[in-house]
Amino acid sequence: MNKDQTIPKMSRELCSRLLSDLEKAKRPVLLATKCALDNARYDHKVGYLQPGNKKVRTELNVSSVKKMSRAIFMLEILLRNLDTGSVNTKRELYYISKGEIKHNPKLKPLDFGDQDESDATIDFICEMLEIYREEVNCYANDRGGQTYSQHLVVTETLPDGEKAVIDLSKLGTSPFQPKNRPQNLKLTTKKKVDFALIVESEGTANTLVANGFTKRHNAIVIGAQGVPSNAVRGWAKLIQDQLRTPMFFFGDLDAYTMQNIYRTLKAGSAASLIRNSDYSAPDVHFLGVLPEDIKKYDLNDYPVKENDAQEVRALKKADDALKNDPFFQDKRNKGCSEILRWLLKNKRRCEQQAYFTVDPKDPTMPEKIIVDKIKKGQYV
Amino acid sequence: MRGAIIAGSINRLVWSGKERVHFLAQSWGYPYSRGMAEEKKSKKGQISSASTAEYFSKNLQQVGFSSLPKAVLTTLKEAIDNSLDACEDAGILPQIYIEVEKVAAGTLKNADRIRVKVEDNGPGIDPDDLSKVFGEYLASSKFGRGRCSRGQQGIGISAATTWAQLTNAAGATVITKTAQMRKAVKALVEVDIKHNRGVLKNKETIDWDRPHGVSVEFLIDGRIQLNGEGGLLTYLTGTALVNPHITLSYKLPELGVQKLERLTKEIPEIPQATEPHPHTMKLGEFIAHSHLFGRVKTSAWLKKGFSRVSDASIAELKKAGLKPALFEKNVDALSEAEFRELFSAIQNTPLMAPSTRSVLAIGEASLSKAIQRLGEVDFFSVVSRKPTIADFKPVQVEVAIARLLNRAVGDDAETPVQVLRFANRVPLQFDKAACAIVKAIESVNWRAYQLAQPRGGLPSGPYVMAVSVVSPFIKFKNASKETIDASEELVEEIRRALIQAGQRLSRHIRREVKANDLEEKLRHIEQFCPILVDGLCRITNAPEARKKRAEDGLVKILGRDAREAQTELKEADAIVTAAIAKSNKNKKPDDDEGGDSDGSENGKQKKSKSGAREKAKPAAVRASSDDDDSDGGGQTSFNL
Repeated sequence: MNKDQTIPKMSRELCSRLLSDLEKAKRPVLLATKCALDNARYDHKVGYLQPGNKKVRTELNVSSVKKMSRAIFMLEILLRNLDTGSVNTKRELYYISKGEIKHNPKLKPLDFGDQDESDATIDFICEMLEIYREEVNCYANDRGGQTYSQHLVVTETLPDGEKAVIDLSKLGTSPFQPKNRPQNLKLTTKKKVDFALIVESEGTANTLVANGFTKRHNAIVIGAQGVPSNAVRGWAKLIQDQLRTPMFFFGDLDAYTMQNIYRTLKAGSAASLIRNSDYSAPDVHFLGVLPEDIKKYDLNDYPVKENDAQEVRALKKADDALKNDPFFQDKRNKGCSEILRWLLKNKRRCEQQAYFTVDPKDPTMPEKIIVDKIKKGQYV
Repeated sequence: MRGAIIAGSINRLVWSGKERVHFLAQSWGYPYSRGMAEEKKSKKGQISSASTAEYFSKNLQQVGFSSLPKAVLTTLKEAIDNSLDACEDAGILPQIYIEVEKVAAGTLKNADRIRVKVEDNGPGIDPDDLSKVFGEYLASSKFGRGRCSRGQQGIGISAATTWAQLTNAAGATVITKTAQMRKAVKALVEVDIKHNRGVLKNKETIDWDRPHGVSVEFLIDGRIQLNGEGGLLTYLTGTALVNPHITLSYKLPELGVQKLERLTKEIPEIPQATEPHPHTMKLGEFIAHSHLFGRVKTSAWLKKGFSRVSDASIAELKKAGLKPALFEKNVDALSEAEFRELFSAIQNTPLMAPSTRSVLAIGEASLSKAIQRLGEVDFFSVVSRKPTIADFKPVQVEVAIARLLNRAVGDDAETPVQVLRFANRVPLQFDKAACAIVKAIESVNWRAYQLAQPRGGLPSGPYVMAVSVVSPFIKFKNASKETIDASEELVEEIRRALIQAGQRLSRHIRREVKANDLEEKLRHIEQFCPILVDGLCRITNAPEARKKRAEDGLVKILGRDAREAQTELKEADAIVTAAIAKSNKNKKPDDDEGGDSDGSENGKQKKSKSGAREKAKPAAVRASSDDDDSDGGGQTSFNL
């Protein structure tokens, strides 16, 4: 049974159970998976953070009746979308719910004050049914993941069943923008791809390609554009699963990149425990910048600014991560935790663009270093 | 008057050993009368001294005549202070009539000529004393007596006369009649500035239909400001708040005659000054104090000349290492070193706190009544601290916080609370920021008591915070008694009172929140039951019968919740009611720290089933102070 059929069935069963409890004047209880770090498990064989056994229990009472009523109201909208194949963003769902209420004044008490409230309701439904929002046709905008390759061909199955074939080598200087629905994409290559490189900075990815990276190497270059969106994560997972090619991440050497960007790309996040299976690429390696690269290439690094709240917070978080994050605690990820320790100890950071200082006159120097590091296995 | 500082500085000009002793002795309440520095004819190069009147006539801004609106307020205030002090001294319930009006253009630029008239039913002034009272500086019956009177040094009313004289070329017109006089005496009093003497002019005997009293009238340059922090109305309502025993009739421009009736017939008994407490003295004062006793044994001097020094305390001092022989020695034979040793030992020996008899409290009951005069009060919280020592002086702090109904929360949520400051039952209206009271209010974390408060500022909302500081020796920052000096100890004492009041306040607000919660819950039941069941039935395609059963079941479940909440609320009500009953039972009828609670009925808002809340009239609820975080609380009351 595919998910389009499973979710309505699960929803009907859930609602029927609630109804039966109510008929008996018994308080219905809803259990939702707790999506937090203290309920995250990491098994290196699986490769991503999975939910533990902790559940958030919501018992129906005068305080929770509003939350439950809103959840059932929103569930009805989502089920209708599944039924008709419509897709929406969270913001659109907020306005759809507003419209429903406008046309049916009886529903007025359910009205969402702002989008945060409707977002929370959607998240609650997902945690309750253990699904992710893309499974109920609720997508985020496709941010990040711009992909360049001379050999990659993407075949997309459209909602009407038609197929669209995109040959990335035919796009000129334009990148391919991956979609939030990786299950609709099929990847093939015209020639064997040696590796895929995910670059933290979209701008640097663009520079590498403009300077001929994809012409000189059988590679796929992806710009992550900061913290990877669902589109980037699902896309990386797809490349990993369908092309079985080595994958590398190239980004800054700082606590934020290591925890928020690289860890999320490789093993998912605690907030998205339910979807990490489809939205993480456990085979990705951390290519750099590595602490040893600073010395080796004489890179410009600088101390963490004590008055920069974001950087200081990231370091504090790094300390917490070493103590509590099962990903960094796993000995298979010792390389990553060692980097965090180095950052905590030295309180210095080095940006990916520092490779441009190595030979300012040679625009392909970063490319040379990257390829050299891959060849020599200098990654984590 | 704040003239203490000024008087001190003037004295320094003519500081001889004998005068020093007299000045110090006087400041502890021992009768001694000495004229102020007398003018000497100055020759070139010779140091001369000016008369006190000359000094003040040139520095009237120091005593409250720094602007035109302030001149009117200060004149009115000084006259009323004198009337109230006189009435209280004579045990008369004060009835005061005030008229302030613009009669013509003033002599100063942009000034109006203002007539200020204050008439009281006090004991009247002996005509022989008229010139001293209204025309001589530092001629006071109250100077340094160590009593909680409004006036202290005898500067204010003479300053008003001077102002009238300077701006309008005529002093104060006074009518006085004592109970012994058949006819009243009317005269114009002026200040002989050169000699600091009052001069009577146009003295005549007139018929006056009052049994006794004083009427004083000034024609001064000034400007009438009714509202705002320095407004006359603010002053009058403030005075009425902390003096619930007065009847105040006033005629102000645009308002016609208004009358505020007294709320209590109890005349506050002004406590007599007590002997000084050794912990409230400095070494110099201590030694000077001994000179008043002549040849007596040191132990006798300590016991007679000070309060709170007993045989037990002397035994303590001996235990602390002082030689017993020292106490047998005559006090006039003690050397400076011995005084010094004795003084430090006393400072380090715990003694009972100074007698609180010298401190006059307004009382919680009176405050509770008077606070209703501020407007339509939703609820209030009143705290009378026990008298304590701050900065070596006995002091008592009282706080009343009221929430006003007519200051709508929506409009005023961001507006800072209204602060009413009182020192010895006189409203303080200027230089708010530097005042100990404001600093104490700002130091309290009001957010903990459910009040909005910007960081480091006054809390905001439709509240009035009235803080009264009463002490025989209030340390003012300036001679015009506008600001209480913010010493650490005093701020802390005020802060404690505010915290206690805040706790009661928050208890009430929490209850309100709880009641709102219950309403919300009841509303939830009505609103969400059908929606939830409808949604579930649509998704499951359930038949109508199932829907009906589910609706019934849901109402049962939520009804149980609502009943629980209602029971909880009833229990809370019962606890508060029991506390009121207990507190009232324990209350002595003549307790000057509280008096009878005037509103012990529980006027809590009534809730209808639909959740609509009707505000009941405010009612005071007296609660036991067992949950106070501080130790000095008197009986406290708060309102629901």
